[in-house]
Amino acid sequence: MIEAVGLVKTYGRDRALDGLTLTAGKGVTGLLGPNGAGKSTLVRVLATVLAPDEGELRLLGRDPAAGRLEIRRRLGYLPQDLGFQRGVTVFEFVDYVAILKEMTHRRSRHDEVRRVIEEVGLTSVGGRRVRTLSGGMRRRLGIAQALLGEPELILLDEPAAGLDPEQRLLFGELVARLGQDRTVVLSTHQTDDVAALCDRVAVLKAGRCVFAGAPRELRALAEGQVWVSAEKAAGTSRRTGDGLYRGLGPTPRNARPADPTLEDGYLLLLTTTTNTTDITEASA
Amino acid sequence: MSTWHMDDGMAAAYAAGELPATPAASVEAHLLACEQCRLLLAPRVPRARLDRVWDDIADTVDAPAPRPVERLLRAAGVREHTARLLGATVSLRLPWLAASAVALFFAALASGETNRWGLLTFLTLAPVVPVAGVAVAFGRDGDPAYEIGLAAPYSTFRLMLMRAAAVVASSSALALAAGLTLPGGGWATAAWLLPSLALTSLTLALSSRYDPRRCAIAVTVPWVAAVVGTNVREPDLAMFGAAGQAGYLAVTVVSVVLLVVRRREFS
Repeated sequence: MIEAVGLVKTYGRDRALDGLTLTAGKGVTGLLGPNGAGKSTLVRVLATVLAPDEGELRLLGRDPAAGRLEIRRRLGYLPQDLGFQRGVTVFEFVDYVAILKEMTHRRSRHDEVRRVIEEVGLTSVGGRRVRTLSGGMRRRLGIAQALLGEPELILLDEPAAGLDPEQRLLFGELVARLGQDRTVVLSTHQTDDVAALCDRVAVLKAGRCVFAGAPRELRALAEGQVWVSAEKAAGTSRRTGDGLYRGLGPTPRNARPADPTLEDGYLLLLTTTTNTTDITEASA
Repeated sequence: MSTWHMDDGMAAAYAAGELPATPAASVEAHLLACEQCRLLLAPRVPRARLDRVWDDIADTVDAPAPRPVERLLRAAGVREHTARLLGATVSLRLPWLAASAVALFFAALASGETNRWGLLTFLTLAPVVPVAGVAVAFGRDGDPAYEIGLAAPYSTFRLMLMRAAAVVASSSALALAAGLTLPGGGWATAAWLLPSLALTSLTLALSSRYDPRRCAIAVTVPWVAAVVGTNVREPDLAMFGAAGQAGYLAVTVVSVVLLVVRRREFS
């Protein structure tokens, strides 16, 4: 579904994507990475909003340079910063996007709008103006428009931002359902989201993919490298909710080894990889 | 309280739509009050028909009410989905149109003053109104759903052109109406038209590379400066004379050609 080899995208002197290689098939693939790693740029390239300066890209079996329109017909996209026109209602907004997706027959378009609004649990607020919705509801509205037309490739940039725990749970169920028969790419800062939702994870750093594989493989990178201690130690230790300090690296005296989490693997990866070296090239 | 009830034959005929109008109306009134007859009728009504009726009701309730501009476009024969796309344009909404109308009519009123700047104010402002309208009609800053539109199959270039055409048409109608109030009327009522087309098409052409709002500023500032500069010492309407109009026509043609050549840049 997604085959990217050596993607380069520059903004002036800044190389947002620096030879990024990634493949993703059916299921949910999480894009993890710190700010500026290139996640949003990659999602925008995959959404055909941006064209890469270099590299090869195939989406849904097509080259975006030649088959952009066909790809867009089978694509759902939630951008990071989704805006809404002033004064529009939930139904009006999704209806507007449905027209942009070439759904011109009024009645069937409205049926589809109702379907996606129901899918994200916003049916009861369909007639409300978007500006009166909470941040979480607006995010769900953004997800709803991405589901229009049952796209085969769904790109969600920070979809869970602003969702409360209950909404995250519902969102997780929705994403899991979507990932059963289509390709879902989910960009996030949250390792929790990846652990809960994703079949595969790609870690981006400085415009490169430095890890691609299953979440358990990312977790396994920190095997034997995680410790907890009652005392703060130098280095990368961080305070946990139970008053202990959790650290990565060789276990110091007065500390005990701990089971790694996905976040441990991710943090270890970010601290140990250079910008130009991929430590793992697991197949996605 | 009802003293009669439907029998099987009547229920079947009503469900099939075969009952004459008067008895059917009577049955409908009766059904509102009689649960026994509703229960008798319910299994005879085709499920698909019920779903269709319910869908119609749901659609009537859910469907967004068209905005005034949308209704106007529909009345003018524009298709429903196109009218919806145009109706979402900021510069085709009533507040923007009202503000444009007020500005243009004040400028026209000012031309009644003996001060020579009066007429110039109108002739300078009339071409700027559509430029501003076009600048906020599309692009990352003007259209909150712009990014989604870029990833959608609907042609961004087509959408931009439709919105620009609608904005120019509405602005021109307002300017023409304001121009009719100019004292003495004459050539000045329409002398802004070609400058308006030139500035708007140039803004669109430049927007294939730069942000539309910046393009609008880049086009408007030299325009205003040129009008002011040529009139500072003494009144000079040469910019709106025959030679000037020919120049605006040339700018319009070149800009449109540039726009067509660079159309792919919009998507």
